[in-house]
Formats: sequence, structure tokens, C-alpha cells
Amino acid sequence: MAKPPIRKPKKKICAFCKEKTPYIDYKDTGLLRKFISDRGKIRARRVTGNCTQHQRDIATAVKNAREMALLPYTSAAR
Amino acid sequence: MRHYEVMVILDPDVEERAVPPAMERFLQVVRDGGGAVEKVDIWGRRRLSYDIKKKSEGIYTVVDLHATPALVSELDRQLNLNEAVLRTKVIRPDQR
Repeated sequence: MAKPPIRKPKKKICAFCKEKTPYIDYKDTGLLRKFISDRGKIRARRVTGNCTQHQRDIATAVKNAREMALLPYTSAAR
Repeated sequence: MRHYEVMVILDPDVEERAVPPAMERFLQVVRDGGGAVEKVDIWGRRRLSYDIKKKSEGIYTVVDLHATPALVSELDRQLNLNEAVLRTKVIRPDQR
């Protein structure tokens, strides 16, 4: 009998809630780079484990950084 | 009076030592209008993630200032009129 594949997803705690970061700065590209893929796309919440509010803050920060050419819109990796 | 943060990307063809006086000239508008410039941070030359106006580099500067909304929009307008300015962004850091 094959076992039914029950995966218990590990509940991640949002890194920003834990650290109590009040403001995510769009100039901090080192931080924001952790939340984009090598293609330059914003990582999904299920990957990053952020809460709704902080995922949104990250997304707007990344978009601001892209406007100022601090982060790429696309990067042709591969 | 509100706290604003203005980021400016200048043309890389502008000489490095010509940057501080150029920024001062732009910010004179704020001072004349009763605003206060707190900090001018010149990051210097930095590679752009993608080309802007066929330029692959830019001189980044970040300015912290207190001013009225009208004053900041005037500053932004004047910056965008200038040929040496590639891009600007005005942000209110305490908003959020």
C-alpha cells in the first residue's frame, strides 16, 4: 500500500515581523535581492514566507528600485 | 512641512566634482521657499541595471529634506527639465 503523500508545510515566520522592521527601504538592494529570482522576478510569498503586509512592502520596494535602475526588470540568466 | 526623500540620477558625463555645486543649485529652490535640506548623500557613479537614455552608468544622489508639497513638486519639475538629470524619484519615508 502506497502511503498517501501528506506534506505538512512548515509554517515560516515572516522575517520582518520577527525583526519588527518599520520600513523597507527601496535603496537597500542587498536585502531586496534576496526576494527576487535570478531572472529578476519577485519571489512568491509561499517561497519567501513573508506575511501579507511585508510581502506587499517588499513588492513596492522592488518596483521602486526597478524604476531607479537599482534592480533589473528582467535579467537574461540562462 | 513634510519629510521627503528625493533620489536623482545624473548623467555620467557630468564631472564628479561638478556634482555637489549642481545639486546645490537645484536645492536652492527648496531653501528659497522656506524648506530645509537635511542631508545630501552623493553615492557617486553606479552601474544602471538597464540603459537609460543610452547610458549604462549614472551618478546617484539622495537628498533628505523638509518642505511643503508644492515646493517638492516644483523641485521635481525643475529637475526633470534639466538635460543632465536622467531620472528622479520623490518618496515620503514616513508614509507607510
